[in-house]
Amino acid sequence: MAKIYPIGGGKGGVGKSFITASLGALIAKWGKKVVLIDLDLGASNLHTLLGMNSPKIGLNSFLNKTVKNLENAAVPTMIPNLFLISSFHCYMEIANLFYAQKLKIIDAIKQLPFDYVLLDLGPGTNFNTLDFFLTSKEGILICTPEPTSIENSFRFIKTIYFRKLKQMMKKNTFDSVFKDPSSDLNGSGINPPDIIEVVLKHDSGKETFLRNTLSEFKFKLIFNQFRNNVDATLGDQFKDICNRHFYSIFQFLGNISYDSRIHDAIFSKILYIHKYPHTQSAADLKKIAARIISKIPSASFGKDML
Amino acid sequence: MKKFDGLNYYEILKIPMTSSYFEIKRAYKDALSLYNEDSIVTYSLFSKEERDQIIDDIKDAFSTLTDDQKRATYDQMLVDSGQVETLIPSMEKQYISNPLSSTHTRVNEKQVYSRVTEKLLMEDVKTLSDEILLKERLSGDDLKKLRKAVDVKILEIQHITKISTSILTAIEENQFEELPPDTYLRSFLKSYAKILQIDPQKVIDGYLKTISLAKKADDSNPK
Repeated sequence: MAKIYPIGGGKGGVGKSFITASLGALIAKWGKKVVLIDLDLGASNLHTLLGMNSPKIGLNSFLNKTVKNLENAAVPTMIPNLFLISSFHCYMEIANLFYAQKLKIIDAIKQLPFDYVLLDLGPGTNFNTLDFFLTSKEGILICTPEPTSIENSFRFIKTIYFRKLKQMMKKNTFDSVFKDPSSDLNGSGINPPDIIEVVLKHDSGKETFLRNTLSEFKFKLIFNQFRNNVDATLGDQFKDICNRHFYSIFQFLGNISYDSRIHDAIFSKILYIHKYPHTQSAADLKKIAARIISKIPSASFGKDML
Repeated sequence: MKKFDGLNYYEILKIPMTSSYFEIKRAYKDALSLYNEDSIVTYSLFSKEERDQIIDDIKDAFSTLTDDQKRATYDQMLVDSGQVETLIPSMEKQYISNPLSSTHTRVNEKQVYSRVTEKLLMEDVKTLSDEILLKERLSGDDLKKLRKAVDVKILEIQHITKISTSILTAIEENQFEELPPDTYLRSFLKSYAKILQIDPQKVIDGYLKTISLAKKADDSNPK
């Protein structure tokens, strides 16, 4: 079974695609078979970061059935072991994917015969992004160490919870009061995670069930564009706060230093880690990739100090 | 949004029950700055009411734990209600009312030593220790297993050896990239082994072998 990591995180321009491409290349170099799926539907450009022309075969071929299955929609990149499923040639209105098509894609992703599947998601918290993120119980959140980005990350986590709870409510019998929590909650100004507290009061039988489901999620956090003047412990603070005040497990994977040459590399269509392999940012990326495939256990789960 | 439900004062301030006045004060300042309305990490996470509640809890924790009388009552309550198992024996007389006395007397080296000796007399612990030392290569997991078996806490090692907990954790978690240069590492491993009362040389050799193998494995992969 492939390890599936959706890569998302609220804000646009924080480096999701750049990090997806870099981590994919690094993991592939360690001999793992990796496929990147460009799910920033309608705004896909992962192929450019990988230095490729837009591949003719991709998600479009899967949706219009010119290939037998999603695996056949993956094209090799210039990097051995690294494959790409692009959505560049999908029809113009792909951003508004039909629900049935989305389910079909999600189902196919789970069957992919690769070691690692990295999903490059679009910004924001629209249903496509959320549902693709929920393909796996582990996801990666990219954030920059700025208030706006941190704010959006919290919103993203809350919205993920909310989407998941709604999915569960469809499948399970809940007190009818909660069948359409959005309408209730919007009126009362309750934050999405508070829905657990709300359900508790009315339907305490479901408490454990809800908590258990949310506690199965593992979020991995990366701070991108990290500049020297920022408090280096910010990532750990962020992780600690999340572990305390949300219901899932949060792990901090590390900071990626800001480097203006990243932009040069994107302009020249050469993967940054190949063009500048000996920079701090490249080392940061390598460390994070190693943590993802568990070459280095992370420092960040450690609650057990006493 | 979870607040501090179910957390005791020590957990709220993220400090061990053995903390000194200074440690409590530092933790209190850190907590206040983390939950302050200007904190980049939390400003968008809580409503004003939630934040006020959190700050109140932090202040309660601080005022209770820095008052010897209140702290003793509170600790007893934690024990009585089963939230903590027992008070660590060395804690009893060591609440420091005078902030100027040393903060490091809390962990009593002799007591740790006699605890380890006692544990090593138990057959299963002895067997575990022997088995681990017989290995040609030693990993952080081995050390951690042994440390837990002889009931020594990382913070106790940190207090006695003055090696930072992050390095101790890195050793135990095999985070080789986080470790200091070999010269320092050797001396750290030696101190660590001494507390667990095992042969330091074997620990150093075994652990360094694990590192060099891991490095080799890393190098043999394409860069």
